[in-house]
Amino acid sequence: MALGLLALPQVVSNSFAIDILVRVFLFAFIGVAWNLLGGYAKQLSLGHAAYFGLGAYTSTLLLIRLGVSPWIGIVAGGVVAMVASLPIGALCFRLRGPYFAIATIGTAQTLMLLFLKFRDFAWGAVGTTIPNLGNSPLMMQFTAKAAYYYIALLLLAIGLAVTYWVERSWMGYYLVAVGEDQDAAEAVGVNVPRIKRDIYVISAFLTGLAGTFYVQYIYFIDPNTAFSFNVSVNAALVSIVGGIGTVWGPVVGTIALEPTSALVQSWLGGGRHPGVQLTLYAVILIAVILWQPTGLLGALAGAYKRLVRDAPGIPGAAAAARHAPPADE
Amino acid sequence: MVRGLSKRFGGLRAVQEFSVSVEEGQTVALIGPNGAGKTTCFNLITGYYRPDAGSVVAFGHELVGLHPYHVCARGLARTFQVARPFGKMTVLANVMTGALLRDKKLPIARERARGAIEFVGLSAREHSLASELTTMDQRRLEMARALATAPRLLLLDEAMAGLNPAEIDQAVALIRHLSRRGLTIVIVEHVMRAIMAVAQRIVVLDHGQKIAEGGPAEIASNPEVIRAYLGSGYAHA
Ligand SMILES: Nc1ncnc2c1ncn2[C@@H]1O[C@H](COP(=O)(O)OP(=O)(O)O)[C@@H](O)[C@H]1O
Ligand SMILES: [Mg+2]
Repeated sequence: MALGLLALPQVVSNSFAIDILVRVFLFAFIGVAWNLLGGYAKQLSLGHAAYFGLGAYTSTLLLIRLGVSPWIGIVAGGVVAMVASLPIGALCFRLRGPYFAIATIGTAQTLMLLFLKFRDFAWGAVGTTIPNLGNSPLMMQFTAKAAYYYIALLLLAIGLAVTYWVERSWMGYYLVAVGEDQDAAEAVGVNVPRIKRDIYVISAFLTGLAGTFYVQYIYFIDPNTAFSFNVSVNAALVSIVGGIGTVWGPVVGTIALEPTSALVQSWLGGGRHPGVQLTLYAVILIAVILWQPTGLLGALAGAYKRLVRDAPGIPGAAAAARHAPPADE
Repeated sequence: MVRGLSKRFGGLRAVQEFSVSVEEGQTVALIGPNGAGKTTCFNLITGYYRPDAGSVVAFGHELVGLHPYHVCARGLARTFQVARPFGKMTVLANVMTGALLRDKKLPIARERARGAIEFVGLSAREHSLASELTTMDQRRLEMARALATAPRLLLLDEAMAGLNPAEIDQAVALIRHLSRRGLTIVIVEHVMRAIMAVAQRIVVLDHGQKIAEGGPAEIASNPEVIRAYLGSGYAHA
């Protein structure tokens, strides 16, 4: 499978197909970053666009103002997102449940407004294009789409590796405990504010990386794109649809939703009815939460379990469907 | 040791000037009618509420002002009146979460957790989801999870509510066993038979105030306690 993914751009020359895959990897990656906090610790952020935007603006400002390569910019973007997440987290984590979600929306919107005001410094509402240098790998610019494909795939692999590591460490246990019952977690010694802060910082860093990659990919940045509410919603949506608090959930969710969303967009003729797409997202979200809270992965595992119900001795099939850290024997 | 602990909720004085001192190794029962302020006392001691006045000192440290997780790190573990397991985690994962307080390495936490699970007699359900356990088993789990944090003082809030007489006997045996191992225990309980079996000392709370304190026999014959509490307490014990 991994080999297949690596070889794919050599076989598929259709740049439209590659473009879809790049977007799938990127959105899955943002979902994976979101899932660390939203999925495992169940802190439903709807403001991850804040970090996406900060990553995007950091590398672009470094590139255009100082000529710094986006390869350095991408790390700087992640670090800026990380640093920003500390005060934002300190503020938003005072709130629980829906109030937390609403506060995070507010932080992303506030940043968008700020960057709309920064006319001289950051090009205001007009935004800017990234100067096209032709094929310039050192400046993260490529004429071949395949290069972007590999970068996006690498980002996704990093996100999955981080998730895998977190899930199989003490952090995984603490995060799921926080997601289940914060007071009970504190009773057994879980420093809830600290673990939330730590995972939020990691999540913000990864989301910042995605921001830089995205501007380099589309060669354009403005506040509405960089801090788009769609980015925040999409991150939450793919995780929830795929399977919240699982390593692969956001990937499965993105694969299921991205083509649908592309279809819907072409039906509606591009961005002329942005409200319709958000409404559709909301409907999907409510349906999943009501009828299949473990997402597509949960549904699959459930079906598998029913299939093998009569065959004893298959432990783990049910457990895999659920959010518990593995008993890892 | 608790001194002058007070807490009001609006106009209601939930706990007033409550003082008690528990010797290491003792099992002390905190009894009193519903609404007397027993759970509030636990919440004050373990950092869930901040007292309006008073101090809580345990093992040489002042606890007032600490967060619950810091109180737990100081060696005080509690259970909740209504068990609060992490429903979507297995029994083992629940208890490991407690064990991770003392060591962040999973294999070590797993061994500790297994020990606590075995101690409460839940080994057969190790891989069950906590939400699938019976009431009795959820209380066992709650106790195992608290024990896994390696406490020196265990605060049990109505650990026997909802159990049948046979299960109460098991719970009593468990608590006595813990006590023999040197653990200091404070237990809130309504089942007088169980209290008499485990407690060396009984503290009676009514309307947020301590109205009596003494050995089991002394308390059972105290007229004020009988008037305020035991009259009904004995009836359902
Ligand atoms: N968080 C709270 N807010 C307001 N009132 C409370 C709160 N917690 C407890 N109380 C009130 O304090 C009193 C003591 O409650 P509690 O400590 O739960 O009693 P007990 O555990 O002895 O049955 C009750 O009248 C209860 O309603
Ligand atoms: Mg109570």
